[in-house]
Amino acid sequence: MAQIDERSVWEKIADQLRSRSMWMLHYCTGCGAVELPPSMTSRFDMERLGMGPMATPRQADIFLITGYLSAKTLRRVIYTYEKMADPKYVIGFGSCTINGGIYYDSYSTINRLDYYIPVDLYIAGCMPRPEAILNAFNTLMKMIRKGEANGWKRYKENYEWYKQNQLRSLKEVIIHDEFHE
Amino acid sequence: MTNSMNKPPVEILEKAKELFNIKIESVADKQYRLISENDKAIPLLSFLKESGYSHLSILTCVDWIEEKKFELVYILFNWSNGVTFLVSTFVDREKPIFYTVKDMWPTAEYYERDVHEFFGVEFEGNERCRLPMILEAWDDLPPLRKDFDPLKFSKEHFPDREYEKDVIHEAKIIRADLEDARGDING
Repeated sequence: MAQIDERSVWEKIADQLRSRSMWMLHYCTGCGAVELPPSMTSRFDMERLGMGPMATPRQADIFLITGYLSAKTLRRVIYTYEKMADPKYVIGFGSCTINGGIYYDSYSTINRLDYYIPVDLYIAGCMPRPEAILNAFNTLMKMIRKGEANGWKRYKENYEWYKQNQLRSLKEVIIHDEFHE
Repeated sequence: MTNSMNKPPVEILEKAKELFNIKIESVADKQYRLISENDKAIPLLSFLKESGYSHLSILTCVDWIEEKKFELVYILFNWSNGVTFLVSTFVDREKPIFYTVKDMWPTAEYYERDVHEFFGVEFEGNERCRLPMILEAWDDLPPLRKDFDPLKFSKEHFPDREYEKDVIHEAKIIRADLEDARGDING
């Protein structure tokens, strides 16, 4: 079996290009969404890194989990993550995605995001400031160029393990929507 | 501002007291708490709705575990004089069944589903109150009851991250053996 970080020459070239044009899925959970407008607009200006917001998961490359995730939101996050096209990268914002943060004892929020979907990069803080977010974007770009951001490959390889964890916490991942069924 | 805005609603409170045998407490300026008996609460609510207190701000619930009661609180607001009434009534905690008000206020259907989901109070006449709304696939005690333990539930369902503690490394940092690593203590 091929190593997970093995890349052909073409993939190396593609990664150089991918790292400079990342589209961010416009999906915000928790309180970290507040930090995105300053990161996007003129003061910190995310677009100079080649990043822009994108409305649909099919066309997006990075998925930002901006804060705590309730079990209900996690179902939507998994659904959205699986809809995104490869390659896809996930950044977890703040302590809530790392270890539950102040919601460690909540009956409805998860404690650890990388148990359910692979996370390429975590930003520590509650909440991380735009400086930290920009730093994280730079780090992610470097990781993509080096071929280290391979969470999407890990998800394929360990799909059974991720699915088992998802089912253990959520019982079912399928989404019921009474208004559209 | 008209004069009627600043007058306390004495007339309606006295009339309600006479008709429905309620206890009245003044909570704050323009806020009154009306404690009603279980079987007179629905007629009281309908009377208040007729008298101008027609806006149901929220229906919520309080768990009094030591008294073995659930308190249902209907918050009614009057748009013409700005007075808020908190109509509360008590139901038995062992058999929490009450009657729906969704025919008076259609929005109450969702408040009742909410209360049913988080406290387990059933509302007779609202057949949709058992449908899940916020918690999906929930099969434990209703989570806002006082005897529900959220930490235990979280430990069972949502695994924690395990940390390895390097005690020797931390001790070295505290003794300042590692000058450079001082900023490293949190990883």
